[in-house]
Amino acid sequence: MKILLLGNPNSGKSTLFNSLTGLRQKVGNFPGVTVDQKSGTMTFQGQQHEIVDFPGIYSIYPKSAEEQVVYNALNALNPQEEPCIGLVVVDASNLERGLFLFSQLADLQIPLVLAINMVDLAERNGVEIKQDVLEMELANTPVVLMNARVGLGKDRLLKALQHQMEHGLKETYFSVSQGMIALEDISLQEQDAEKRFQKASELFHKSVITRTRSKEKSSLDGILTHPILGYFFFALILIGLFQAVFTLSSFPMDAIEQGFHWVSDYLSGLLPKGPFQELVCNGIIPGISGVLVFIPQIALLFFFIALLEDSGYMARAVFLMDRLVRPFGMNGRSVVPLLSSMACAIPGIMATRGIPNPKERLITLFVAPLMSCSARIPVYTLIISVVIPSKTVLGFVQLQGLVLFALYLLGIVAALTVAWVMQQVLRQDRRSLYLIEIPEFKPPHWRNILMTVFDKIKVFVLEAGGIILALSIVIWAVSNYGPTAERKTALRVLKQQEAYISAQNDERERLESSVLLEHSYLGKFGKGIEPIIAPLGYDWKIGIAIGSSFLAREVFVGTLSTIYAHAETSGSYRLKDKLLQEKKADGSKKFTLASGISLMVFYVFALQCLSTLAVARRETGSWRIPIIQLLLFGAMAYGGAFLCYQLF
Amino acid sequence: MPYFCNMKLSAIPKWGKAKIKEINHPLLRTKLLEMGVVPGVEITLMMRAPFQGPIAFQCGNTNISVRSEDADFIIVN
Repeated sequence: MKILLLGNPNSGKSTLFNSLTGLRQKVGNFPGVTVDQKSGTMTFQGQQHEIVDFPGIYSIYPKSAEEQVVYNALNALNPQEEPCIGLVVVDASNLERGLFLFSQLADLQIPLVLAINMVDLAERNGVEIKQDVLEMELANTPVVLMNARVGLGKDRLLKALQHQMEHGLKETYFSVSQGMIALEDISLQEQDAEKRFQKASELFHKSVITRTRSKEKSSLDGILTHPILGYFFFALILIGLFQAVFTLSSFPMDAIEQGFHWVSDYLSGLLPKGPFQELVCNGIIPGISGVLVFIPQIALLFFFIALLEDSGYMARAVFLMDRLVRPFGMNGRSVVPLLSSMACAIPGIMATRGIPNPKERLITLFVAPLMSCSARIPVYTLIISVVIPSKTVLGFVQLQGLVLFALYLLGIVAALTVAWVMQQVLRQDRRSLYLIEIPEFKPPHWRNILMTVFDKIKVFVLEAGGIILALSIVIWAVSNYGPTAERKTALRVLKQQEAYISAQNDERERLESSVLLEHSYLGKFGKGIEPIIAPLGYDWKIGIAIGSSFLAREVFVGTLSTIYAHAETSGSYRLKDKLLQEKKADGSKKFTLASGISLMVFYVFALQCLSTLAVARRETGSWRIPIIQLLLFGAMAYGGAFLCYQLF
Repeated sequence: MPYFCNMKLSAIPKWGKAKIKEINHPLLRTKLLEMGVVPGVEITLMMRAPFQGPIAFQCGNTNISVRSEDADFIIVN
């Protein structure tokens, strides 16, 4: 039988869901919207049952996209054809409003079980619940007092569910109204809510004894939401988060890349030489590696985000940051996704799922790729080392470091500007309201946190991984294949050159791959777009490198080294020196300050990342937003680079 | 802390106590009602974010945070 898990936010619903289903759960989207739908199976007494975990709600009448999902699902129920049970989870410390929601569900004529959760916290809050009174009044509903975090009351809950499955009793205590009120009829909803609240309140006062305790002012909140110290603390937490994501993820990321490199080498020895071997070893395996390499960053970031959420700190951070990002059409909840995009936009975009308001979520998701991510660092540092002199300005500031800082700042300013424009242009959902509950601090529940991390990895690999893999194979193919006759001629010409004949074996290989890349389809693309990118100060070589960057931005550096393999240099193999020494036909330097700055600005704006596009598609449900992002940020990159090249 | 009468919720200082009188914003009224905040209920102002940022008040065993411009619609007695 189908069990619907419904309840207030912060009532411990997810903990209960995890405890009932264990690992037998799957995440997906509710039909038509990008709201997580979690469902799972549980077996007891030899029978398997499906549990659907719904977003937390205070009422069945929706005020946000997440809540709309619950309304739609309840509206579509057909108990005659598909019997189901509602498991209503309420917070014992806030039973009054829990009973309010319960009353709405009871009047829908679904057999219910009432699980009153977190009874330990309630006791500490001076709340005593008389279960016998509740059970007497709610004659047709089993009532279970429990604490899902430690598994207390789980057996009683299973028995209660079993009981309802056998008897299917419908609760008649409230009977305020029958069925659902039309979504548009706000005034009728309000009248209904008032009557309902009175009834729920009556029942609450009958069944609960509250010993008013003078609540001591929480000293932790005194610091964590202090007007000055609070921000200081938040900054500390963010710095710690970045350090961790950067440093801890680099080792597993290297290991994944090394591991797949090894597999690819091993297989290339094993498989017969030919197009199939090349496809497997150079196309598919590096493509899979390119998907899996994001897992460490996603795992670490969501580990920290889930930790902040589960402990109750996140709501405080949202509270503190809301005012700062509101002028840009965002919500306090946008801050963590936006800042985590400085490590990588992929987990950043995935984290926007926590923003309840669709407009604020869209804005945050849209501008996230403008924050300079860690994949841009190799590009920035290479070009800085080529065009920016290593000297100190103002006595102590390193000029190269200053430029790097300016690039990051440019990304942030661009993100906020685009957000501000979107805030002006997009229509506001009239039902949008910032109204959040700040939960009590709790020690984190590790199982919940690990489940979140696991879910996010699964979603990324299964739902974005395929697209990333397919597109990276396309890029590999165009950079490795080209018109055969032309490639043969080019290789023949190369083999007659003095430099090739006098070169060592591995140097010869480098020269060959350079020529082959020049005469590949990607090479053709680079040469084809040369007239378009010439006003930015780039030639076809940079064109190729930009094209290959779509795999991942840092590929820029590797592609350039391949192309420049045969560049004449006075004894240096360093890419930096080759770029510096390259001359135009008239003898002037090819790679100038102007073209360098133009290129860096291009990389600040341009959305050259297949994986980001694939994740944005997954999170918005269509290609529309990623295509707009690609075009808009591309135009900004072109415009900015053009301006810089002309100015410097 | 004294009780505050006939003023906007947004104007109550930190740790100030008051009773909700009315909420002059239909959507906010319904939503707060669903969360258990109804006229007559006692609240304590718990947190205030700087620069006219959100405020948070305690009602029963829960802390609820609203933006201060929305709190202008909530009148306490």
